[in-house]
Amino acid sequence: MQLLEKLQILADSAKYDVSCSSSGSNRSNKKGQLGNASMAGICHSWADDGRCISLLKVLFTNYCIYDCKYCVNRVTNDIKRASFTPDELCELTIEFYRRNYIEGLFISSAVIKSPDYTMELIISALKKLRYEHKFNGYIHVKSIPGADLSLIYQAGLLADRMSINIELPSIQSLKLLAPQKDHQTIIKPMSYVSEQIQGANELTIYRKKQMFVPAGQTTQLIVGATRDNDLTILNLTQELYNRYKLKRVYYSAYVPVNTDTNLPAINTSPPLLREHRIYQADWLLRFYGFNAGELLDENHTSFDTRVDPKCDWALRNLDKFPVEINRAPIETLLRVPGIGFKMAQRIVRARRVAPLSFEDLRRMRVVLKRAQYFITCKGVYYGDADIDSGNLYSILSEKTDTKNIYGQISMFAQPVD
Amino acid sequence: MIYVTDGSFEGILSAIFEAYENKEIPESIVSRDFYQISLDTDVKEIHTNEEKSGRVYNAIIEKMSHEALETIYKAWLSEHYEVGTALYKYVKIGLKIGKKVLSYLQNPDVLLVNDLAHKVAFESHRFLGILRFKKLKNGLYYSRIEPDNNITMLIAEHFAQRMSDQSWIIHDAKRNVYALYDTNEIVFTNEEIPITSDGIVDTMFEQLWKNYFKTIAIESRKNPRLQRQYMPRRYWKNLTEVK
Ligand code: SF4
Repeated sequence: MQLLEKLQILADSAKYDVSCSSSGSNRSNKKGQLGNASMAGICHSWADDGRCISLLKVLFTNYCIYDCKYCVNRVTNDIKRASFTPDELCELTIEFYRRNYIEGLFISSAVIKSPDYTMELIISALKKLRYEHKFNGYIHVKSIPGADLSLIYQAGLLADRMSINIELPSIQSLKLLAPQKDHQTIIKPMSYVSEQIQGANELTIYRKKQMFVPAGQTTQLIVGATRDNDLTILNLTQELYNRYKLKRVYYSAYVPVNTDTNLPAINTSPPLLREHRIYQADWLLRFYGFNAGELLDENHTSFDTRVDPKCDWALRNLDKFPVEINRAPIETLLRVPGIGFKMAQRIVRARRVAPLSFEDLRRMRVVLKRAQYFITCKGVYYGDADIDSGNLYSILSEKTDTKNIYGQISMFAQPVD
Repeated sequence: MIYVTDGSFEGILSAIFEAYENKEIPESIVSRDFYQISLDTDVKEIHTNEEKSGRVYNAIIEKMSHEALETIYKAWLSEHYEVGTALYKYVKIGLKIGKKVLSYLQNPDVLLVNDLAHKVAFESHRFLGILRFKKLKNGLYYSRIEPDNNITMLIAEHFAQRMSDQSWIIHDAKRNVYALYDTNEIVFTNEEIPITSDGIVDTMFEQLWKNYFKTIAIESRKNPRLQRQYMPRRYWKNLTEVK
């Protein structure tokens, strides 16, 4: 089979994994070698679906012995199959890298023969890349569920980032849709990797730096393949960040590829708005000091379709507003709808030089459309409707066709519930 | 009074020096390229002077910090037609209030300089990603870019570190600025380097990359608007995968 066709097959089966980031590692280059990693991550292109392309994202093989119901590559599907050789994979990575198409490699795989066998194939390719080709670019490796922990350890010494995908947000869903995968085969390696990362960090204090997945581990959850609600997903997310110290949790709106009584019909559009809301909430957990319980609870189990999670929270907590722009601590500013992380920092910096007026905020391009109802400037309220008037929800609701960034795109937006 | 400079960074710093030396408050500092002669204003031609510009340069570091110098320099790279005047006002404020000038965003001139520097930094970061090399017949890697801002100086070092074992040329075709790297050091030049299109033989990997680019998109999530928002149309003609 030609390399072109292989690449097509193995990229096509890898595309539903949404994590693409190349951040979090500062692996450096040595003179005369190739590649380094950038702490902030670099996007190299944006595909037709608007998603960033940063890494060459391919499967090592799409031959699979398993039969996960939601997956294109399951053994019972009649599709074209292919496998790379380690040399082919190295060549593609290096040649793409030299032309600055990519930050590095994201290697994942279906399960060929056995989890251990698959993991060994991946390790041999990574060793070639790192040792023979002296490649210091970014490598994200997927650990294969069920592979021996010693193999996962070896892979972790070669990679910058590692992930193991949970995919289905609850044990019931996993039993239903991936009966051959035991949830322990996912959780065990995840906690093992998390321990190793901490161990490596502690060791660095005494010894020469030993790199074990310096950019941390991540996972992916599928949204909309099962009946799990937003609350289940968000609670799981919080636990993954707190307990396993994950760097990122990615969410993937389910794109139906198989017909099954337990799955959404094949012509269902991916729930992009729902995915978008969950991403917004995820940011609130990671950077804005919120915890899951503030955003959703048993009486409020899914996100509002018309206002974002922060706005939703603010509307349920009007007694905490308005806040004074010139005095509120940054943690409070971060909770104001319409004020983002960067803007809160700018405000705090600027007000140290001189107090800020409403005009100053406008000039600094604070988006006041939403913020105006939740702030005062030098004691004055500028909102064009009263905060207690009871119609803030309708004022703040997004129109159906907003210019919203993440998945909420006019034609395919499918409000859920 | 209008000061007219040659548009260089040192030229603008020299003009700022002269304003202080002559105890004048120029209404604007403009580059020769943008200046249109008008009859009713006084105009002073400023000669770029290394010693004068050097003194302002050092004063910025001493009174305001390295970070302020970096902001000023990046703002200059934007080639904005009002940047000379804005930098003058920025320096004036900075000499009074020191390092705090970096945060004084209530002031329109400080804000403008800050925004311009931000725009330049943003575009340089973008180009670390969207710059493409083509392999030439002689083994050199060649990249043609047409950025909005004059960013070649800012991005070259990144590629020297990353592709430390390969010789390359980055060519800003808008400004005819070249960065040349020979696996040893970077040289910047304005002298034309002939690159003929038949020297470019790179079809196989370009084909593979184009194919990968098409394949990796999810059909049911197609979103050209979002794609263009991240990767504006004006950059496409130098981008292998969408050209
Ligand atoms: S093991 Fe992975 S590739 Fe194989 S069917 Fe399950 S999800 Fe798909």
